[in-house]
Amino acid sequence: MKIGTDIIKVYKDVHIWVGIVCGLMLFIAFYAGSITMFEKPLERWATPPSALSPPPPLENAEKLLDAVLAERPQAAKGYSIVVTPTTDQPARVIWAERGERPRQLIEYGASFAADGRLEVEKLRKAQTAQLVDRMHQFVGLPLPDDAARLIMGAVALAYAVALLSGLIVLLPTLVEDLFALRAGKNLKRMWLDAHNALGIFSLPFHLIIALTSVVFAFHDPFYDTQAKVLYGGEINWGEHEAAPTGRVPLPAGELLVRVQAQLPGFEVFGFTFQQREGGHLEAGVIGLDPRRGTRARTYMRTHLDPYTGEVDTHDLPGRMDGWGEAVNAFFALHFGSYGGNPVRWLYVLMGLAGAALFYTGNLLWVESRRRMQRGAAPVPQKRSARVLAELTVGVSLGSVAGISATIAAAKWLPARVDDLMLWHEVIYYAVFFIGVAWALLRGAGRGAAELLWLCALTTLLIPFSSLAGVWGIGGAWNQAGTAAIDLTALVAVAVFLLVARFTRRRMRHGRTDSVWSVADQRQMTQVVSKGALT
Amino acid sequence: MRAGARAKLDSRHWFGKTSAGVLLGYTLAVALSGVIAGLTPGGFEGGNKVQFNMWMIAPLWATVLGFVYLFRDSWRAWWWLALANVAAFGLLWAVRSLAG
Repeated sequence: MKIGTDIIKVYKDVHIWVGIVCGLMLFIAFYAGSITMFEKPLERWATPPSALSPPPPLENAEKLLDAVLAERPQAAKGYSIVVTPTTDQPARVIWAERGERPRQLIEYGASFAADGRLEVEKLRKAQTAQLVDRMHQFVGLPLPDDAARLIMGAVALAYAVALLSGLIVLLPTLVEDLFALRAGKNLKRMWLDAHNALGIFSLPFHLIIALTSVVFAFHDPFYDTQAKVLYGGEINWGEHEAAPTGRVPLPAGELLVRVQAQLPGFEVFGFTFQQREGGHLEAGVIGLDPRRGTRARTYMRTHLDPYTGEVDTHDLPGRMDGWGEAVNAFFALHFGSYGGNPVRWLYVLMGLAGAALFYTGNLLWVESRRRMQRGAAPVPQKRSARVLAELTVGVSLGSVAGISATIAAAKWLPARVDDLMLWHEVIYYAVFFIGVAWALLRGAGRGAAELLWLCALTTLLIPFSSLAGVWGIGGAWNQAGTAAIDLTALVAVAVFLLVARFTRRRMRHGRTDSVWSVADQRQMTQVVSKGALT
Repeated sequence: MRAGARAKLDSRHWFGKTSAGVLLGYTLAVALSGVIAGLTPGGFEGGNKVQFNMWMIAPLWATVLGFVYLFRDSWRAWWWLALANVAAFGLLWAVRSLAG
């Protein structure tokens, strides 16, 4: 395709500048996003075992509920009955009470002891997956949510522009470049080929992620503007649910039978109940139809009449109108919440490939500013190229090591501190900033190898914390059926060590006229110290 | 204009073009999302359609912002996008009047 060279030049500039400004934030978003694909297994791995007695059978849920309401009347405002208790929802009856801080809700679960006594426990669902999700949503920025959301939205919009501009730049040579990976002396060529191949083959995925992220960041202002411009001031969200009219809600066991009859193939996790004015109950059913994608990442929910068991199906994927299905698909395409674990693993790979796209993009910028060695005298590299290379290494590997460290801490923190989320953040940012400082201090090449060892070490701590749990050390634990997390971490350790070896080889034996070379770093130090002396 | 006589683009006007794409691109995207809403089944009614209409802003906005660098300079970007806004809001008014 023929495009004017001036147009190519302008879009190349757009692409480069968006890449330099947003690339590192996008790296963190993509790496953390890959990990959130398995948020549920991670949550189960990181949740301390419950001390409650095994949940009573579903037929006795109402008996348990009555016992709870007798002791904790505030639970009547909102509670759930769990059909299939899991590690993160270990009780048959769960409710939330207000904490000391504004908007803080503390979840409790209840069971019957062997002697029939009521047991109540503050649930300790792990916040690790939630923290990784925060890193993902707010591109790793340590800012208040609103400010971080604004920046994330701007980054997502710029990222959409970067995709378009990258495509325009590549179009004229698309045919000859598409399947080429020219690994040779010309390193810039090789990185460019790798960057182009990654970019063009994952373009549909990236477009989806970019555009959905713009919506996730800006949906409130979007709705506000449309309310004024399109809907005459107020959005009409459609019909309201008719208030249930019955007197006595059906028992959960009966609700389950009626829901299963109405929704074949829908796996019910539990029921939620809310008390409304006038004393009547509003209810919802939570579960998953594995044949459909879901906008809620790991579950689906809809209204249920607790007095008749009638399900309001119009909010369920597969039963919505076309517009609803389309919106549901936009969410599901971002979350990879369709097609089960194969699709989740695919999204992990796509996310890591995305992170690699931003990493190679930055390396390209560095390579194209490289000063070649002509004679015998070594040439120091430009400061801008050096600093970007160091930041690329420090921010990327710092965030990788930080995420591993904060996950590994999940099994040690509950026995030691109260505010888990705070400590998870402190650990993440401490490791992250140490990583960035280390790369700036040691240079890109040496810094990369050493930070990759740090990544390997912090990631190795993940299975070690499970091992500590098996041996009962330091208050750690090991939940049955979560070994996949530890095995995945071990594979990642091997990958980090392998990449570290390659980096060291290049640093030692590669060309010296590069920001990756030890020689360049040494020489720069000499230049600086000489300057200080004279 | 003949292809050979086309004025060369350069990157000097990036700020003016970007701000035109962000601001006027946004208002244009909102107006066009309304036009699309009015011309498709369901119009401006119903919870799901309202959500869909909101989702349309992102691709429209990103498209305008992506192509804004094809304008020769900032003034042309602002001028043509302002004109496009007038046209789109006119169209939106017409569509809304027809929809009642």
